[in-house]
Amino acid sequence: MDVDPRLYEQIAVNDTDVHNIIMSYLVHNCFKETVESFIACTGMKQPSDYLEDMEKRKRIYQFALEGNALKAIELTEQLATNLLEKNKDLHFDLLSLHFVELVCSRKCTEALEFAQMKLTPFGKEQKYVEKLEDFMALLAYEEPEKSPMFHLLSLEYRQHVAESLNRAILAHGNHPTYTAMERLIQQTTVVRQCLNQEHAKVIHQTFCHEYLVQRNSKLH
Amino acid sequence: MGGVEDDEPASKRMKLSSEALIHLSNGSTVKESIVGSSRDLMARPLQSDGGEEVVGSKGVIKKVEFVRIIAKALYSLGYIRSGAHLEEESGIALHSSIINVFMRQVLEGDWDESVATLHNIGLTDEMIIKSASFLILEQKFFEFLDEEKVMDALKTLRTEISPLCINHGRVRELSLSIVSPSHCFTVRSPKQNTSRARSRTKLLEELQKLLPPTVMVPERRLEHLVEQALGLQRDACMFHNSLDEEISLFADHQCARDQIPSYALQILPAHTDEIWFLQFSHNGKYLASSSHDCSAIIWEVDANGISLKHKLSGHQKPVSSVSWSPDDHQLLTCGVEEVVRRWDASSGECLSVYEKAGLGMVSCGWSPDGKWIFSGVNDKSISLWELDGRELECWKGQHTLKISDLEITSDGKQIISICRETAILLLDREAKVERFIEEDQTITSFSLSRDNRFLLVNLLNQEIHLWSIEDDLKLVSKYRGHKRTRFIIRSCFGGLEQAFVASGSEDSLVRTLNLYYINL
Repeated sequence: MDVDPRLYEQIAVNDTDVHNIIMSYLVHNCFKETVESFIACTGMKQPSDYLEDMEKRKRIYQFALEGNALKAIELTEQLATNLLEKNKDLHFDLLSLHFVELVCSRKCTEALEFAQMKLTPFGKEQKYVEKLEDFMALLAYEEPEKSPMFHLLSLEYRQHVAESLNRAILAHGNHPTYTAMERLIQQTTVVRQCLNQEHAKVIHQTFCHEYLVQRNSKLH
Repeated sequence: MGGVEDDEPASKRMKLSSEALIHLSNGSTVKESIVGSSRDLMARPLQSDGGEEVVGSKGVIKKVEFVRIIAKALYSLGYIRSGAHLEEESGIALHSSIINVFMRQVLEGDWDESVATLHNIGLTDEMIIKSASFLILEQKFFEFLDEEKVMDALKTLRTEISPLCINHGRVRELSLSIVSPSHCFTVRSPKQNTSRARSRTKLLEELQKLLPPTVMVPERRLEHLVEQALGLQRDACMFHNSLDEEISLFADHQCARDQIPSYALQILPAHTDEIWFLQFSHNGKYLASSSHDCSAIIWEVDANGISLKHKLSGHQKPVSSVSWSPDDHQLLTCGVEEVVRRWDASSGECLSVYEKAGLGMVSCGWSPDGKWIFSGVNDKSISLWELDGRELECWKGQHTLKISDLEITSDGKQIISICRETAILLLDREAKVERFIEEDQTITSFSLSRDNRFLLVNLLNQEIHLWSIEDDLKLVSKYRGHKRTRFIIRSCFGGLEQAFVASGSEDSLVRTLNLYYINL
C-alpha cells in the first residue's frame, strides 16, 4: 500500500522544526564546526555552554572509540561526576575496554592484575559474572583474535560502548539521549511496517530507498 | 603365560583336535602341573593361540578378564599383596606396564610426562587422548593455583590447555577461576574449602572412565556385576517380601511362599452382623473394624495376638467405614447416610458428631495434617470440617455417590472419591482441577497406594484394575481370579514397599499378587 505522494503536499512543514531536528543530530554527534556554521547560516540561537560540553563529549567519545578507556573515564569524571557510579554497567564496559587493550598488547600480567583489582569486584553481583567470564576467557588464548570471544576485540564493540557513554552523559545533563532524527526514522519505519503488514506486502527496501529513490521515480 | 609354546606356528595349532589339545595341556610345562588341580575343578579350558581361555559352565567368561577384575577387586579392598600375588601366579597382569607407568606418573604429579605417556599407550581415538590430556592439565592448572603460582597456572592455560581446542566452555570457567576462587566448578569435599584441585586418586578415576575399559579396568567392576546379579535374582523372586539386606551371595535368592501371609492366625468374633470395613492404625498397633451391627470396635495388636480394646456404640445405622487419624490417637466412623463420629482411640469416648440437617454422611477421611475432616454427603457433595464441628468448605456437584470410598492423598492435595457409578473423581484442591478415571463397569470400591501413585479399583464384573494416577491417568494392569457376586469386595496394597496386591473373594479365599512380577 502506498499513499499518494500528492497528499504529502497538504502538510505544512515548519522551518524551525526542521532546523531543530538537524541541530539535535549534529549536537548529539559532536559535529562542532558544522554546528557553528549551521547556526551562522540559519540564525538560530544556542546557549553557549552547549558548544563547550560538545567539545568535551567529542573527546571522550574519541578516546573510548580508540580503546583508551582510562582517559575516557578520567574526562567523564570531570564532566559528569558520579555518572559512572550510577551506571555500573557502563563503568564495567569501560573498564573492560582497557582490559581488552592490555590483552591485545599481550601484557598478560598487567591484564591479570587489572582484572583482579578493577573487574572482579563487580563479580559479587550475579549479572556481571557471565560478562566477567567472557573477558577472562580472552586471557586463556595466546591469540585472542582466534578465540570464541573475538568480538570483544572489535571496533563494533568499542563503538557500542562509546555510544552508550555518550548517551549517558547527555542524560546526565538532562539532554535527550536519542536524536529527533533517529526517533523520526524509527517511528516512520514502524508505522510503514504496520500498515504494510495489514496488506501483506513484503518490504525489502531500506528507509532511504523508500523515500528518496522511489519518490524521485514517481516524479518522472 | 603358561600353556602352549608361543613359537609354534598358528596354523598348526588350529588343526589340532580338541582331544589333542587337552593332551598338550596335561603334559606341557611345569606351571601347568602346579595349578593342575585347580584346573580340574573348572570346566575344560580351550586353548588357542595367545592363551585365550574361558571359565564357567557356559564358556562365556574370558579367563583373562575374570582374573583382572578379581585382581582389581583385591586392590580396591586394600589387599595389595594378594593382588600382586594373583598377578604373578596367574601370569595375567592387571594393567600393562605402560599403564602402570602412566598411573604412577599421575599419582606423583609428573604431569608433562604423563601426557607424553598418554600418547604412547596406543589409543586410536584422538578425542580420548585430548580429553585425557585436558583433565591432566586441568589438574596441573589447579594445583598451581593452590600453590598461588598464578602466572604458572595462566601459562599452562594459555600454552597447553587452550591449544587442545576442545571444551571451550570449560576453558572459560578455568580463566574465571584464576581471579575468582569462589567461582570454581570442580568437585571438592566440604572440608577442603581452600584447595581447588581434586585429589589425584579422583583424577585417576576420571581418567579411567575416559579410557577404554580393556586399557584400564573400571573401579568396582566386580562389585557392580555381583549387584547386577542380585538385582536380577530379586526381580525374579515371586514372593519377594523381605528386606534387601537379607539377600545372601551364597545361594540364589528366592523367597519362600511363607514370606507372604498365607494362613489364618486368629479369628476375632465380636461383631454381631456383617463386618463392612477394617483398617489397621498407621503404627500397626491397633485395628479398627466396623459393622452392620451399628458399632465399631478398636482392637489392640501385641505379641500374643489381637484383643478387643473398645466397643464404640452410638451410631443408629450400620457403620460403613472407619478412618484412623494420622497420629492414630483418634478414629472416625461413618454411619450409612447418617453422621460421622470422632472417637478418642485410647478412651473409647465419642468426641464429636458431624452432621448436616436433612442430609446423611456416606464416607469420611482425615486430612494428612490431622486438622480437618472430609466427609461425603448423600447429596453428592463433599464437606470439609474443622475438628470442632465447623464446616469450612463444601464441594457441591456430582462428587460422591451414596455408598462410596473417600481417600485423601498423603500430601493433602487430592481428594479421591467415586462420583458416578462408573467413574472416580480425583479433585485437586489447590489447582481446582478435576480428573476422572472412567471404567466400563460399575465400580464397587477402590484403594490408594501409600505413595499416592496407584489406585486399585474393584469392579462389578470381578476384575481389579490398577491405575497409575501420578501424572497422566493410565490403566496399568487388570487382575482376575477372585469371585464377586453379591457383596462388596475390597482389595488393598500390601507387603514391604507395597509390592503386592491382596483381594478378598466370595469363594472364601484371599488372593495376593506380586506387582513387580507383573512388570509395572
